[in-house]
Amino acid sequence: MHKTFTLLTLITAAGLALPSALAETPRPGLLSSGDYAAGPLGSELQPARAQPGNGTVYQVGKWPTYTAELAAGPGRDTVLGNCSMCHSVTYITMQPPLPAATWEAEVHKMINTFGAPIQEATAKEIITYLQTHYTPDTRKE
Amino acid sequence: MDRTLHRREWLTLAAASAAALVARPAWAVVAAQAETPLQSFTGPGANPYWNSVGPYVTYPQKSPLLRLTDRPIQLETPRAYFRSAITPNEAFYVRYHLPDIPNAVDLKTWRLELTGNFKRPLQFSFDQLLREFRSVDLAAVNQCSGNSRSRFQPRVPGGQWGNGAMGNAMWTGVRLRDVLARAGIEKGTVQIQFEGLDHGPGPAGKGSHRFIKSWDVHEPVLDEAIIAYAMNGEPLPMLNGFPVRLVMPGKFATYWTKHLTHIRALTEPDTNFWMKPAYQIPDTPGGNTTPEDLKAGKVKMVPIGHVNMPVRSFIIDPDDSAPVVQGMPTVIRGIAFSGMGGIRKVEVSTDGGQTWKAARLGRDLGRHSFREFELVWKPELPGLQTLAVRASDTGGHVQPDSGVWNPGGYLWNKIERQQVLVLGA
Repeated sequence: MHKTFTLLTLITAAGLALPSALAETPRPGLLSSGDYAAGPLGSELQPARAQPGNGTVYQVGKWPTYTAELAAGPGRDTVLGNCSMCHSVTYITMQPPLPAATWEAEVHKMINTFGAPIQEATAKEIITYLQTHYTPDTRKE
Repeated sequence: MDRTLHRREWLTLAAASAAALVARPAWAVVAAQAETPLQSFTGPGANPYWNSVGPYVTYPQKSPLLRLTDRPIQLETPRAYFRSAITPNEAFYVRYHLPDIPNAVDLKTWRLELTGNFKRPLQFSFDQLLREFRSVDLAAVNQCSGNSRSRFQPRVPGGQWGNGAMGNAMWTGVRLRDVLARAGIEKGTVQIQFEGLDHGPGPAGKGSHRFIKSWDVHEPVLDEAIIAYAMNGEPLPMLNGFPVRLVMPGKFATYWTKHLTHIRALTEPDTNFWMKPAYQIPDTPGGNTTPEDLKAGKVKMVPIGHVNMPVRSFIIDPDDSAPVVQGMPTVIRGIAFSGMGGIRKVEVSTDGGQTWKAARLGRDLGRHSFREFELVWKPELPGLQTLAVRASDTGGHVQPDSGVWNPGGYLWNKIERQQVLVLGA
């Protein structure tokens, strides 16, 4: 593009006739081009190469976490503190909006079936938080 | 460029596009544009996309996969990797129940241990498995019980998988029966139990502490099962079960124990959480029930191991990331499989399921493998067209055009559809 422009300038400056091959090329059908935007979806860094093992040991390094943000509001810290004992809160955000009764059942499942050491008052706070932000009526993000 | 203005423009665009996309079923993971992120959840309606909606994330030994959860780790395989019958190791999906996942394993001290009611309790090193047993190769589909759970209506809690909680690999290993025979199953054994190296922080005796699965000792699948030390000719990725994992052909992946380390002969049936109530399905045709019947206590539940994976098929191309053109031959291609017999026939519809044409089947890698199919389509009409695909297996099963419902979100195998935009030319 730049070279063509320079050549055209030289030719024009010399007072020569413009050869037809160098005239503006028609671009039939083109509706839009050269339209850039910042990359709102972001990029991912490539991992550095690492030694995949040592002697008789097969190793992979640490497991990365990519934990989702919880909705802001009362009870958020209680949820983070208790639920994160066994699993990241991405388990909450990954769910579809669930009915209030389902959230209550899920919290009780964590306590009764999986043995989460959570007192009833704390459980109530967690349930209220989940119902306030993650039901079909309340979920925003 | 004015940063603030740009951001505002982008937010407006995002809102408009999000609304537009909801109406498009089975939208591609391959981008038609790169301007707006997908909304981070779906529901309370069914997930309309082929895959789940989480972000791409990077894990050791993996290409970027779709995140469901990060601790424990659950990652879904993007649609494009199913274009061929063998799923690459670096793209193979990941599903853990417990967060304490091995980061490093020493082959010098690792042993496969056979304990309990055996005549000769034994342990085998990795090297012994390689040298002392005949190796077998088997192409087999590993599919999560909850694959496509995000299609359920009403939605059920659990991993909100799209269609990518499945993969097909060429597994190499030793026959489970050969290993059991070396130890000799003692009389009085009712079940064989399997456990891997992965653990959880929960209290002993709870499902949050150990992940354990068991089979009745005479279950036929034990005769076909292999203890795999290779996947597509390479050691297993850590997240897929290094050093060895169980391969249970035709059965859902919950039984394909990763990092397999303990095999126990039991004299009493296993009643641990992961056998009951987890991974149970209604004892009804197709595992189907309703929320009402369930609430009324009318539904008898059985372990999902009682059934084999129902027949399924998937359109991979075209995926609606690009339009096709009227009059131009276009290849409709994808994969099909069944746990109830090999694939007999794959039919494709280009009119939303009114009429069907048999697709050409690809190479047969065995009855437990993905089978590729393709059909050349010359779209005659411009505008939005709906493709559909329907597979039949050698057991006489045909995919239904209705969705199953059960509380676990298991056994989805409804006919898949794909909207495609045909440009006039």
